[in-house]
Amino acid sequence: MAAVRSAELSALEGLLKAPSRDAVRQLCRECFSSPPAGLGPLAQRACPGLADSPEEAQQLVSALHSLTRHVVYHGLTRAEDIISLFPENFHQNLKNLLTKIILENVSAWRNEAQASQISLPRLVDVDWRVDIKTSSDSISRMAVPTCLLQLKIQEDAALCGNSPVVSALAVELSKETLDTMLEGLGRIRDQLSAVANK
Amino acid sequence: MGLLNFTRDPVPEAVSGDMHNLNQLSAQQFSALTEVLFHFLTEPKEVERFLTQLSDFATMNKISLGPLKNIVKSILLVPNGALKRNLSSEQVRADFIALGLSEEKASYFAEQWKVNSPTLTRLALGQTLMINQLIDMEWKFGVTAGSSELEKVGSIFLQLKLVIKKGSQTENVYMELTLPQFYSFLHEMERVKTSLESFS
Repeated sequence: MAAVRSAELSALEGLLKAPSRDAVRQLCRECFSSPPAGLGPLAQRACPGLADSPEEAQQLVSALHSLTRHVVYHGLTRAEDIISLFPENFHQNLKNLLTKIILENVSAWRNEAQASQISLPRLVDVDWRVDIKTSSDSISRMAVPTCLLQLKIQEDAALCGNSPVVSALAVELSKETLDTMLEGLGRIRDQLSAVANK
Repeated sequence: MGLLNFTRDPVPEAVSGDMHNLNQLSAQQFSALTEVLFHFLTEPKEVERFLTQLSDFATMNKISLGPLKNIVKSILLVPNGALKRNLSSEQVRADFIALGLSEEKASYFAEQWKVNSPTLTRLALGQTLMINQLIDMEWKFGVTAGSSELEKVGSIFLQLKLVIKKGSQTENVYMELTLPQFYSFLHEMERVKTSLESFS
């Protein structure tokens, strides 16, 4: 991720033409959440009023994207740190407004970034039921409890864009398998506590 | 022949002849043969060993292997049917008598059946159909140090690999859990265990 350059932030002065503070706030959020590839449509949509030309609109939206992402990447939490990113003669009130908006949103944006980071497919839901098997072709009368587990797994969000694929996997576990699994999960829990207590 | 417990289908004609031949064996010979049979029933994968033991029995007792194999086939009809139908040892004994086996030998076999039936039942249960059976679970957990969006992260992740038997193949399923998801998953699995235990 390229560091934000203060020169490019001067494009943000176009926001002075925004109809309201809320419009600025909304645009900040959209620019942060959009991937770089999604900025073009944002520029077209959000900026017939804020910029005189498509190029200016693109620069504004890119600058906002870079600024917000930079703040979140570096985990900046103090107003001074954000203010120091702006060029010297930047409009004072706009600078303060943008800093305020960013500080309001930074922790939600951090969570968003963490939630959308690359990962293996994620477990999103677990459902289970216990059945009793009463009969089969190999033995006509029995009473064997068994567990059916349904795992809902979501593919990597980054690969699927806005409509991630969720697949459901049904797995059967015997009591012995479940006991072994719980043993393993217990060991994980113990190790996690050891790490947490360090 | 009267109604049999171990099957509703008509029994092959050869069976009564085979039972008659069995009656000619001494008690000792019958007991040795029964032992070989139950060895096989309790370890059905040991086919080679079973055939070797049969052939040894044939040689030692001066019986031809071919007819012996037929006799064994006939005998095995009863325990196989008995297992499917959860028969008691009295019912097994009654069936052998109905087929023509001597009372003494029928009682002996039924006794051996009683002794071996827990093992045999467990084997039959183990063969019961399971859908997408979970056969293995591997895991690792670690810390995400940073990412392209966040310079410093420090969050814990857990990765699971489940090995699932789908028909005759195995499939690996990989997934990642956050810490809260892991604790919730653990909690659910403990609830399942309680439920399974209450039904055992």
